[in-house]
Amino acid sequence: MKNVVRVLWFGVAQEITGSAEEEFMTEDTAVLRLQILEKHPGMRTVNFRLALNGTMLKKDRQLEENDVIAVLPPFAGG
Amino acid sequence: MNDSFLVGGPITPVLISELMTLGNDDTGAGAVSVFAGKVRDDEIEGKKVTALEYSAYNEMAEKVAAEIIRTVKSAFSDVRKVVFVHSTGVVKAGEVSLFIMVTSGHRDHAIRACRHTLELIKENLPVWKKELF
Repeated sequence: MKNVVRVLWFGVAQEITGSAEEEFMTEDTAVLRLQILEKHPGMRTVNFRLALNGTMLKKDRQLEENDVIAVLPPFAGG
Repeated sequence: MNDSFLVGGPITPVLISELMTLGNDDTGAGAVSVFAGKVRDDEIEGKKVTALEYSAYNEMAEKVAAEIIRTVKSAFSDVRKVVFVHSTGVVKAGEVSLFIMVTSGHRDHAIRACRHTLELIKENLPVWKKELF
């Protein structure tokens, strides 16, 4: 079943997509990854990870309505 | 004051002085180890970096920072306090963008835990930087 999720872009992903956030209609994170690459081909060059509601995802997950997915390029703090 | 947080702009000498007073009431802490990370004026494709603009995923950074502190404290039994702050926004070359302070009973754990905190921050804190020229 498809749900509307909020996708937050960070770091270089913001520059590539030209926005801070976007909504996607999707079912799980595996499908969402493909949708992201389809919609924003520039993201193919970024080795990004996903966080679900503020927690890093270690494996793909089903998504519920209004879930918040953060697209996280490699960290560069310090 | 929280044990960790993000600050807008550079970490000033005044803020560092204030941070270093944290834990002054803990007279069992005989060692304080600090690390300050500064913005470097690297040259990239012939252009000098004049500043870095940091951004963060604040909500996640708060959770990750708390986890880093828990991890460090459990790995080094002599550690009494772990404090760190990271900049967001623009920080000019030569200014401090990361400050870490670890206190412990004795020097060994303070120094090693400070280094370990730094590595955990670099690996896990959701912070990004963009070079400004």
